[in-house]
Amino acid sequence: MNAITADAPVVQRVLPRSGAAIAGWAVRSIRRGALVLVVAVAGMTGVVAATYAEVIAGAPGGVDSLRALVQNPAIRTLFGEPLALDTAGGFTVWRTGAAIAVILGMWSILSATRLFRGEEDTGRWALLVAGTLSTTAVTARVLAVIAAVPVLAGVGVTAVLVVAGTPSLGAVLHGTGLALTGLAFAGVGALSAQLFSRRAAAVGAATAVLPAGLLVRMVGDGVLGLGRLRWLSPFGLTAETAPFYADRLAPLLVLAAVTAVVLAVACTVAGHRDIGEGLLPERAGRSRAHLCLLRSPKGFAARTVMAPWVGWSLGVGAFFLLIGLLTVSLTGFLTDNAAFADLATRAGFGLDTAAGYAATMFALLALPAGGFAVARISVLAADESSRRLALLLAAPLTRTRFLVANIAVAVAATVLLTGVAGLAFALGAGVVDTPLGPGQVLAGAFNTLPVALLGLGAAVLALGWAPRFIGFIGAVPTVGGFLWLVIAQSVGAPRWIENVSPFAHLAAVPAEPVDWAAGALMLLGSVALGGVGLAAWRRRDLRTA
Amino acid sequence: MPSTALTDAGPAIRTEGLSKRYGRRVLALDGVDLTVSPGQVFGFLGPNGAGKSTTIRILLGMSRPSAGRAWVCGVPASDVRRAHRLVAYVPADVALWPQLTGAETLELLGNVGPGVDTAYRAELVERFELDPSRRARTYSSGNRQKVALVAAFATRAPLLVLDEPTSGLDPLMEQQFQHAVGEARERGQTVFLSSHQLAEVEAVCDRVAILRAGRLVDVAAVSALRSLHRNEIEAGYAGPVPDVAALAGVAHVETPRPGVLRLSHTGPPGPVLRALAAGDPQFLRIREPSLEEIFLGYYGEADR
Repeated sequence: MNAITADAPVVQRVLPRSGAAIAGWAVRSIRRGALVLVVAVAGMTGVVAATYAEVIAGAPGGVDSLRALVQNPAIRTLFGEPLALDTAGGFTVWRTGAAIAVILGMWSILSATRLFRGEEDTGRWALLVAGTLSTTAVTARVLAVIAAVPVLAGVGVTAVLVVAGTPSLGAVLHGTGLALTGLAFAGVGALSAQLFSRRAAAVGAATAVLPAGLLVRMVGDGVLGLGRLRWLSPFGLTAETAPFYADRLAPLLVLAAVTAVVLAVACTVAGHRDIGEGLLPERAGRSRAHLCLLRSPKGFAARTVMAPWVGWSLGVGAFFLLIGLLTVSLTGFLTDNAAFADLATRAGFGLDTAAGYAATMFALLALPAGGFAVARISVLAADESSRRLALLLAAPLTRTRFLVANIAVAVAATVLLTGVAGLAFALGAGVVDTPLGPGQVLAGAFNTLPVALLGLGAAVLALGWAPRFIGFIGAVPTVGGFLWLVIAQSVGAPRWIENVSPFAHLAAVPAEPVDWAAGALMLLGSVALGGVGLAAWRRRDLRTA
Repeated sequence: MPSTALTDAGPAIRTEGLSKRYGRRVLALDGVDLTVSPGQVFGFLGPNGAGKSTTIRILLGMSRPSAGRAWVCGVPASDVRRAHRLVAYVPADVALWPQLTGAETLELLGNVGPGVDTAYRAELVERFELDPSRRARTYSSGNRQKVALVAAFATRAPLLVLDEPTSGLDPLMEQQFQHAVGEARERGQTVFLSSHQLAEVEAVCDRVAILRAGRLVDVAAVSALRSLHRNEIEAGYAGPVPDVAALAGVAHVETPRPGVLRLSHTGPPGPVLRALAAGDPQFLRIREPSLEEIFLGYYGEADR
């Protein structure tokens, strides 16, 4: 009896601490990226809102030109339905809202799958759930930490909008919508991590939900008259909220309810399955070995890339098929609004034709194509730190040959992915009978390849110098460059600032001829980045953790 | 034949003043000079963190030494394209591609490696009781180790570098491992075996190098280490305990409880046994301490 009484205070002290320890571990795992994210999101919003008056005053034709421009389906597809453009708040929501929602969603997915399935893959998760807390409780605490980040980002966005002088109701609704979108995708990532037993599969499945949600919103944005579809997508629901215009609360309540359910299901499922396994059963083996593509490192790299390539191709293909189909609404719009082409051209946007529309949409292709290429290098880095690579590099081949073989496979797969996007667009555009030929469309797709390869080069550089930041550094030329240009254009920055972004140097193919010099320069840049990374990787010690 | 190539090239492994620093504070290896003759089974002993894996990673060109040089079969360790034609490697803590089955992993490692004897590999799969149809993600750590061991033993590389290869194997599989090491020795392959288990080294090795805190403490034949062996003697008495402390070769005399005498002894046992027998013992136990205990004593001295 005495012993139990003596022990009791110790146990009571330990229990609450284990929860804090789990949360502390989660905070340590994500804090750096989270800080960058929150600052970037709030900063982007603040810059656009603060410079609104100046930009509109400087635009040829002022708000009116902008209003005409945004009736363009291509612009609407990209940025969402433009509302209340005559206010700083409305303009900021339209110009940055979609991009920030995608960034928050992507961050939440990657963080949730990393902390849940990634840790479970390495066996570390078992250490965490072996403590005094149940698996559901551990999952809930980690998820709460992840969820805090989009919430902080939303608070930050609201705060800078209020400081910039926009109406507080709109600011709160916009910030809440962004936070909820991030939360929803944290739930999607966490749930996906419970379903699949491998991190790559969990990331792939969760990531597929994001462009699917975007597509649903794009279709629902009135282009095809299917507005109600927007209630099925987080991006659509935040658009329905229409901050600074209609300020509707109901869509956010729907989003909050669905998000709460997804988060709760993820936590519950976590406690009702075997650690180390996914809810979806995976075959434990196969009696007949698949021996193809196991002959050389290059062959093995090709074998490893196959499944992810099919996944990315399906996603990117579906997206550009739909974008191709949407050209019909553009041609219809152009015949109905003869005056528009003139206005748009004067405003400096090459969106007055189907070819201009294709060029604008293809610029987006560099983001997934670059992401795919960067992911190949991330996989290589994961193989290195998990010590799998030691088995291959004990073979009689140099690291240079090994890495070059892997880069070659990544480049080939990225080229094919770009081709799939072009063909899908051509197919969609062909069905609705637009004046674009397949050759023109493919030229538009491949025109963006150098930007994607810049991302690959940056990723290889990171592999050599900062292997823990491959994802971040690899995204700098593509995602970073895209956002840079959006912000620079939104705030009316000088030309040389715009020119920092590789997207500023992309000719609007097929509306314009290919800028071979710019393309060659970007390719050269990616080769240089890759070369420096290769030289560093060749010389440094292989990582073991 | 690989073995002839090896004799021409001199030692299977040679290092000169090998040092490895991690940052400013950690000195993982400190001037290690090591020579391993071809055809030997060479044990590389040391406690955790002694620098065994660091040495091996340098030998395989996966880490660069901060100072000093290393050769594998006469080829500089950094020239991996040539050196790795002569080496098969089993890393500590084997990680495999989770989506590949055992058979697929063996196929991949066999194809990229220095050449493989497929018939012997099939035999090894049987002997190690490996189910090659399962995906690596379902393998236990012991099974992953078996895959890497089978892949390494099935090569005809003149040098096998094995980094703590039996840490996950059960005793039965450890026997198979020792058997496979014996077969490699018969074929003339050199085996470089890092371990912190003396029993394993005692069972299979010809020579042993002892590494401690990044420094080579000693290199000796295993039989020479065994000459350090001593007897641990324990005897129980109903009456008074005889006094043996003054006898030659006797040390560490103690009386753990009344009527029990414990001592350690080296050299010819006659005088001690006579003295113990004279006191009318109730029981007598003579035990040879494991190499482990000898080794620990050895370390204890090196520590000071």
